[in-house]
Amino acid sequence: MTTHPIIRFSNATFSYNGHEALKDITLDIFEGEFVGVIGPNGSGKTTLLKGLLGLIHPTSGSLQIFDCACEELRCHHRARIGYLPQKERTDPNYPITVWEAAMMGRYGAMGLFKRPQKQDHEIVMESLEAVGMADLKDQAFGQLSGGEQQRVLIARALSQRPDILLLDEPTTGIDAATQRRLRDLICKLHQQFHLTIVFVTHDINLISGIVETLVVLKTRLHAKGPPEEVLTKAVLEPVYGDEVIIAKRDQKPYIIVRDTHNHA
Amino acid sequence: MLELLSYGFIQRALAASLLIGLVCALIGIFTVLKGVTFIGAGTAHAAFAGVTLAFLIGVSPFLMAVLFGLSTVWVTTFVQEKGKMKPDVPIGVFYTFTMALAILFIGLMKGYRPEVYGYLFGSILSVTSLDLKVIAALSIGILIVLVLFFKEFHFISFDQEMAEASGIPAKRLSFLLLNLISLAVVIALKAVGAMLVFALLVIPAAAAQQWATNMRTMIIYSALIGVGSSWAGVFLSYWLDIPSGATIVLLAATVFLFSVLFSGKRQKARPV
Ligand SMILES: Nc1ncnc2c1ncn2[C@@H]1O[C@H](COP(=O)(O)OP(=O)(O)OP(=O)(O)O)[C@@H](O)[C@H]1O
Ligand SMILES: [Mg+2]
Repeated sequence: MTTHPIIRFSNATFSYNGHEALKDITLDIFEGEFVGVIGPNGSGKTTLLKGLLGLIHPTSGSLQIFDCACEELRCHHRARIGYLPQKERTDPNYPITVWEAAMMGRYGAMGLFKRPQKQDHEIVMESLEAVGMADLKDQAFGQLSGGEQQRVLIARALSQRPDILLLDEPTTGIDAATQRRLRDLICKLHQQFHLTIVFVTHDINLISGIVETLVVLKTRLHAKGPPEEVLTKAVLEPVYGDEVIIAKRDQKPYIIVRDTHNHA
Repeated sequence: MLELLSYGFIQRALAASLLIGLVCALIGIFTVLKGVTFIGAGTAHAAFAGVTLAFLIGVSPFLMAVLFGLSTVWVTTFVQEKGKMKPDVPIGVFYTFTMALAILFIGLMKGYRPEVYGYLFGSILSVTSLDLKVIAALSIGILIVLVLFFKEFHFISFDQEMAEASGIPAKRLSFLLLNLISLAVVIALKAVGAMLVFALLVIPAAAAQQWATNMRTMIIYSALIGVGSSWAGVFLSYWLDIPSGATIVLLAATVFLFSVLFSGKRQKARPV
């Protein structure tokens, strides 16, 4: 890992119509770092990613990505950031194939007025192979299962050949076996392509073994550090309430959050 | 049949309906997939208000239709961004506002002006050669822009935010697309009328979507349905002596209903 921060939040605050969704965030993320982001519903996780994409700007403080102020982020910068949005149900009737959806990842790099070239086809094929969806490339996207759709959208993000990969709850609504397969896939991509990854999830245990850094959000940056330092009662209880149980499994902390007002 | 094709007005009607059917069907794909059909309805009524004003003050109805049509897009986009609201709200306001203007302008006219009603209900059999030239020029212009930005329009229709996040100038292209929709509606206005043009924009694409699983088939089906029902409508309305706009729309609607009932796309099992 180099010592150069690729992402730098300095006292950044993000608001929607005056309502502060993220407050006074100071956070460096380094090239090739694998960061997990956790926090209850509404704690600003998605907002953090939207900031990183330059979709929303800080109302105070600053955010730098690739040494560029996020307000100045241009299309060619964004093309280097792969993004898997928090899942909404896509219209099952949308006329698009797996291949077409994955190819969209190339559009930013291709630029206007250009058609996909041989190289783009190769990259898309590689990405679909990486997520194990190459065989289904001619299927209608809308008719895939939720987990398969997620994998295609990850392939789409990979087709960008990104430097940074932002994943917003990629494993929500997916069965446990597929969740682990997706996690292992992301892990592999991290090692293989030296990707900087920001992985947002509610499933602490899924990522605690693989991320280098864990960030706990609750409007403010509540904690940041290696998983074994962050996953303690002292850190988690103020965020999740009294309902945090820290058990041990295979010598590693196993977190049980009994969410009182939200789904777990 | 062959004799019929030798009539100038039938030739013009067929040429016009080919262009209009094609342009509306293709623009309609993005209108439907992006979920911005309301802009089509809004534009149609605003453009009609433009036409009534043109007859009142004696300027080119077409020019006023373009101006009013495009202003629907501009005003809606502006209000939507300023007021941070969903676009159907400003469209709803603007739509009724322009309809009220149209009624006002008609009221201010001296005597009965049948041409005005032509724009309301459509009359493809009375397309003049000047009309046809204007329709052809604009259609070709729209088709060129559509081809140039095709992959981007596809992306922003699939997911606007994802497109923007991955380095597509999504906001500007989205605005461009709305302007194209509005122009397509305006060029179809005289042929099918303000009341029905919305159908020509939405129905072919919506019917095609019942069958298509990828973009290529979507384009082919939508274009076939759009042009097919337009041409069939021209012939039928001539032979049966019934209003052309209504005939075209009824044919397209029949195809839509048939598609919904029989496409079976949703039931189709995925081969393993
Ligand atoms: N587009 C928006 N407009 C207004 N407020 C918003 C918007 N998006 C998010 N918020 C508010 O900002 C806060 C943070 O939202 P955010 O989506 O970042 O939370 P999150 O941590 O991703 O939650 P979840 O776990 O439910 O996905 C919430 O209070 C939310 O109500
Ligand atoms: Mg979220």
